[in-house]
Amino acid sequence: MSSIIDDETQVAAPSEKMSRNDWLLQIFLITVGLIIALPIIIAIFTSLKSVTDINANPYNIFPRDWTLDNYRTAWNATPFGRYLLNSAIQSGVIVICQVLFSILAAFAFSFLKFPGRDLMFYVILGSLMVPFQLTFIPNFIFVSELPRNCMELFGESAEFCSSLGANSYFGLTVPFLASAFGVFLLRQFFLALPKELYDSAQIDGASNFRFLWQIVVPLSGGAISALGIFAFLGAWSQYLWPLIITNDQSMRTVQIGIRFFLFDQERGADWGSLMAGAVIVMLPTLVIFLVAQRQLVKGIAMTGLKG
Amino acid sequence: MQNSSPPKGKGMQKVMAALEGYLYLLPTLIILGVFVFYPIVSSFNLSLTRVAPFGNQTRYVGFENYQRLFTEILEGGDYWNSLKVSFWFTLGTVPTGIFLAVGLAIALSYPLKRLSWFHRLLIFIPIVISSAVTGVIFRFLYNPAVGYLNYWLTFVGIEEGPNWLASKDWALIAVSIAVVWRQLGFNVIIALAGVQNIDGTYYEAAKVDGANMWHRIRHITLPLLSPTLFFLLIINVINSLQTFGEINILTDGGPGQATTNLVYAIFVDGFIGTPLRGFASAQAYLLALIIVIVSIIQFRGLGRRVNY
Repeated sequence: MSSIIDDETQVAAPSEKMSRNDWLLQIFLITVGLIIALPIIIAIFTSLKSVTDINANPYNIFPRDWTLDNYRTAWNATPFGRYLLNSAIQSGVIVICQVLFSILAAFAFSFLKFPGRDLMFYVILGSLMVPFQLTFIPNFIFVSELPRNCMELFGESAEFCSSLGANSYFGLTVPFLASAFGVFLLRQFFLALPKELYDSAQIDGASNFRFLWQIVVPLSGGAISALGIFAFLGAWSQYLWPLIITNDQSMRTVQIGIRFFLFDQERGADWGSLMAGAVIVMLPTLVIFLVAQRQLVKGIAMTGLKG
Repeated sequence: MQNSSPPKGKGMQKVMAALEGYLYLLPTLIILGVFVFYPIVSSFNLSLTRVAPFGNQTRYVGFENYQRLFTEILEGGDYWNSLKVSFWFTLGTVPTGIFLAVGLAIALSYPLKRLSWFHRLLIFIPIVISSAVTGVIFRFLYNPAVGYLNYWLTFVGIEEGPNWLASKDWALIAVSIAVVWRQLGFNVIIALAGVQNIDGTYYEAAKVDGANMWHRIRHITLPLLSPTLFFLLIINVINSLQTFGEINILTDGGPGQATTNLVYAIFVDGFIGTPLRGFASAQAYLLALIIVIVSIIQFRGLGRRVNY
């Protein structure tokens, strides 16, 4: 499994000499790869075409004259900057909390002994079985009513209450601040660390908390960053929840922003600036893919999950 | 009893250790408790209620919402339609996606000296594309005036391609193509991990026996891959039942209700126009039941060897 992204794989029919077949396979895979990546390639090149070029030669994939005009149009027509800021905050908060809370829980599950520990682990794992479709309506009602209930509790003058409901960063992020997947992933990794580390830390009189931050976390950089990447991709791509929990344009994430931009823009069928918008939305995840393809693929292959 | 009771200090230590353990779990337990476990109950309670017309009074109606759903099934109403849409969508996307993924995984698993990172880059790339972006890009590709898809179809002799998103017959297929594309990277990665887990000596032995490539795939790769295929089947069925983003952007459930699947019906009933949250929750409960049954099949299947 670990060989999935390495080149020296020992797999189907290795030592055979078939240079002609090798060659055919190369062409086949390049062709298939290009077909799969084609929608993304088309989006990128269309975003770099001028409006006249798109209308005059719609089926030339390559731009005749390269231009960033579509990005300027998209950026001015709709508050993409604000959407990006919202998505960055939303994803940032989700990543930080998921990573932090998963580290804490995974540590308890792999190093501490206390009654009910295994039961709690199965309870947390069990949450993976509960589909989002079951929880999102009550969660929507809960979050929407939070400011009112908060004011009943703390009085009308409690200003922080208004920042808890729909159209708030709190509302956008709060249902996703913990991750059973993250707990599971990190627990697997922590369990593989040598137990002697813990014993010697105890002998040295270090507290559990100190042991966690000074020994376990530094040793688990790979697993923690993998979790961070998965959490980011999941948060950045979210659709249904941000769609229902925001109706104020200034609180939309990029994914919802591009949806409304599409329905505004399509009346003029300005596909150039629409594709520019799509590129803006997917750029952060594409960069992560190019930088961290190895960890991403490995993580998916090992856990069978996308986070 | 009295004699064997531990010294007070030790009992205290135990309590402190337990407290400390739960303190580490606390943030995760609170979030999951409030936003995953509690909604299992509140969603069910909600599904037993209805908002009275011309007022905000929610009242308890027992199983009325469920009765309405079953009546709709029997009479071929809206719920029957969304069940059918989800069924055909699953049947259309899941086998196609798995077939493509396994084919590509087998091709990718041949050891090539050059460019294998490049192939993988191109083939895996959809894993980082969101459903919203998928929807927007495919809306462009399907566009009857400037879209690429019907233009490409002219190369294979189809001069008049379908009006993908506006046609009742083609809209679901159009959504399916987009979703299969977005899922492909993930499926190939899982399938490739499965193919690479197969012990190379099987192939060596088969080669000694004179089996050709097709025989090796048919009699070694596919049987030994069956646990992976099973896993892919389950995970893809669940994903296809949960598809929402592409539908929202490509077709908005239409034309008519041609692409209103179970999730989309929940969204429309719960959030569009006059929200019928109780009725939507009843649908959510039934959908969750289907999904949980599928995942239980998965957990049972994982324990067994599905190899031969």
